[in-house]
Amino acid sequence: MDMPADPATLADEQILLGDEAVARGAVDAGISAAYAYPGTPSTEIFQTIQDQARERGLPIRGLWSSNEKVALEEGAGVSYAGRRALVSMKHVGLNVAADPFMNLGVSGAHGGLVLVVADDPSMHSSQNEQDSRFFADFAMVPCLEPGDQQQCYDFTREAFELSERLQTPVMLRLVTRLAHSRAAVRPAPRREPGPPCWVPDPDRFTLVPAHARRAYAALVDKQPALRAWSEAHAVNRLQISGQGRPGILVSGIGWNYLVEALGEPRLAGFNVLRIGAYPLPVDRIRQLLDASSEVTVVEEGYPFIERQVAALGLLREPRIVGRLTGALPRMGELGPDAIKRCFGVPVAAALQLPGLAQVLAPRPPRLCDKCPHTDAYIALHEAIAEGAGDVRVMGDIGCYSLGALEPLRAIHSCLCMGASIGMAIGAAHAGMSPALCVIGDGTFTHSGMAPLLDAVRDNTNIKVFILDNAIVAMTGGQPAQASDEQLVELVAGLGVPRDRIRLVEPTHHKNAQTVAVIREELAHVGLSVIIARRACVTYAREIKALRRGAAA
Amino acid sequence: MSFDLVLAGVGGQGVLSIAWVLDHAAHAEGWRVKQSEVHGMAQRGGAVSACVRLSRQPVASDLIATGTAALVVAVEPLEALRYTTLLRPDGALVTDVTPLVNIDHYPDQAALLQVLFGAPHLVALDATRLAQAAGTPKAQNTVVLGAASPLLPLPQAALEAQLQALFQAKGDRIVQANLRAFRIGRAASLFVHALRDAGVPGDRIAQVSSRLAFGAEPVADDTLRAWVGCLNGPQGQAAAQRLFAATALVSPTELPLPP
Repeated sequence: MDMPADPATLADEQILLGDEAVARGAVDAGISAAYAYPGTPSTEIFQTIQDQARERGLPIRGLWSSNEKVALEEGAGVSYAGRRALVSMKHVGLNVAADPFMNLGVSGAHGGLVLVVADDPSMHSSQNEQDSRFFADFAMVPCLEPGDQQQCYDFTREAFELSERLQTPVMLRLVTRLAHSRAAVRPAPRREPGPPCWVPDPDRFTLVPAHARRAYAALVDKQPALRAWSEAHAVNRLQISGQGRPGILVSGIGWNYLVEALGEPRLAGFNVLRIGAYPLPVDRIRQLLDASSEVTVVEEGYPFIERQVAALGLLREPRIVGRLTGALPRMGELGPDAIKRCFGVPVAAALQLPGLAQVLAPRPPRLCDKCPHTDAYIALHEAIAEGAGDVRVMGDIGCYSLGALEPLRAIHSCLCMGASIGMAIGAAHAGMSPALCVIGDGTFTHSGMAPLLDAVRDNTNIKVFILDNAIVAMTGGQPAQASDEQLVELVAGLGVPRDRIRLVEPTHHKNAQTVAVIREELAHVGLSVIIARRACVTYAREIKALRRGAAA
Repeated sequence: MSFDLVLAGVGGQGVLSIAWVLDHAAHAEGWRVKQSEVHGMAQRGGAVSACVRLSRQPVASDLIATGTAALVVAVEPLEALRYTTLLRPDGALVTDVTPLVNIDHYPDQAALLQVLFGAPHLVALDATRLAQAAGTPKAQNTVVLGAASPLLPLPQAALEAQLQALFQAKGDRIVQANLRAFRIGRAASLFVHALRDAGVPGDRIAQVSSRLAFGAEPVADDTLRAWVGCLNGPQGQAAAQRLFAATALVSPTELPLPP
């Protein structure tokens, strides 16, 4: 029907990214603090909270934390003190924060504690496509998986209520296509934050074995209540169209693709169970299986539901198919076309242009023009070219990861945040010389300081290049924790001798000097840190503003 | 009723700004909107796209299925071609013809444009140079948006209102330059559609529209008629090729002389 929208409704609605809707939901749920480490596709959550706090004059504290582990621990402190906190990160960030996360499940929360994790199926900006629902399950904490932007807002608010009602941290799981997709969202009135208050009995927050056993028992005891919540949740909606009909078990954003691919009328011929709240609503799944001839599981990410429901194919259930059985692609994100193929719906014919394949060159991301990293890599390349044969450079995560691609091919590993220094230590211990690594200023403060401390104690013969561009550039220009002289002091404070901390300026103009310094340090047997200091060209304006702010 | 389009370009070319204008214009007109976009690593000079989905009903998928988009709007010709598999067979392409060459293996430009000019429903224009003429080279994306506007189910005024909202903070000069850029793009598009309605072959239209310095006012009817006569005439193909090969932008009133 072609009805004009009600102007009053329009005025209330805002067009928001999934990330922004989560942030608005948290602000309106009355958070007192928010913490995050930037990472695609989660970055806009904390950015929006900062913007909202400023624009609406709300006393929300928070930080771009040093890393995800610290962010979650800061959030835990807020919760322990009886107030609400939102912590956000990308999926691999939760690996860094896994220690506090697993133990927060055991200790439980006090003030509402919500962890938003944004998964990246298809690895648009990530090194894997791990599915955070496994982590929620592992920690035995509830998880909400919104399927649209309004649910992003609503579920965030609900997550805080649930967290306080059942005294548990709650995970909100996003995926890239929701985090970075916009639609109209209608916010509700904001709840005022309550006052801080300690929990009367702190034993469950002190996880020494005697307390931990009691706390873990309490976590186990909490599970039926979580199950009951999930079974009763409106988002876990079961529609039985008829006994013996084919069934679909669909979660989160998978629903959107399903409706798009099959259309509502055709979908009405299936028994359908939608899932958006975990732990899994086992009774409803039982009902679906009993009513259906076979069940197709449609879920974005890993085959998390399918694996459990199919019990790896061991039980004599109706046929259960999905990503594990190959009915849907095992890897990569779903989309309407994948669902069409799965259900035998023809994919629509598209415009055909003769000769298209011959000219359609890929355009991968690349380092910006005049990027200081390019000059740093050129100098490094030149300095090691004369050395002994096959030299590998341990790389790290940031814009400079792009140095792994043509034409530079300057780094030869990229594992996880902060890994480069530890891997260089290992390579040196394995007998490789020179053992080199490259890490950015942001990644260094995230998780590069601890391995550098190892190298100091061991005086390992490695050459650590810190690319100090004064900003966290890859994720859109967040402040670096330490750059310029502060970074030098940090490195010296970790115990690297002052004469082995060398400063170079990676420019075309000063290439010869840079190469000479690198060669001097290659000749030294022992630990050297070479800091390539030149501000990012793309975020020059942001860096200036940050420096002005620091000076003021 | 629904309308799906794909926006395409290279990181930094303002694809997401076009998306913002479309979202807000459509929302103000009472459409349901879903719009997915690319952030993160791809924005470093890589291919960037956005799916914009408008419907009178709630929109389900954040992504557009193969063969279902009505329109691809691109700020760069190679990027225009990248998403043609999402287009319906009768779908339209609107694109800047100026290549952004930031990769080593950028295709041969003549071959690229030949494939592009084979698209049955194409609006090709030099948005890069037209934006400079409008007052700011940054308005390249706005020129392209203007060229797409006659194909959108949204009134011109609704789009212009959102352009004003988007650029308000940058001052009146930038707002005016963008409005001019939008109208220049729109004039180009109306010119292309008039020639198509008059039966001029698509590749000739594309060659000509890529080389005309359109103004903010639509091309006058008598000039249009003269172009139709020229391009549908015996020398039409040669005239279009000559104009295209000369690469300079010329005023629409300067019709090619017979050789």
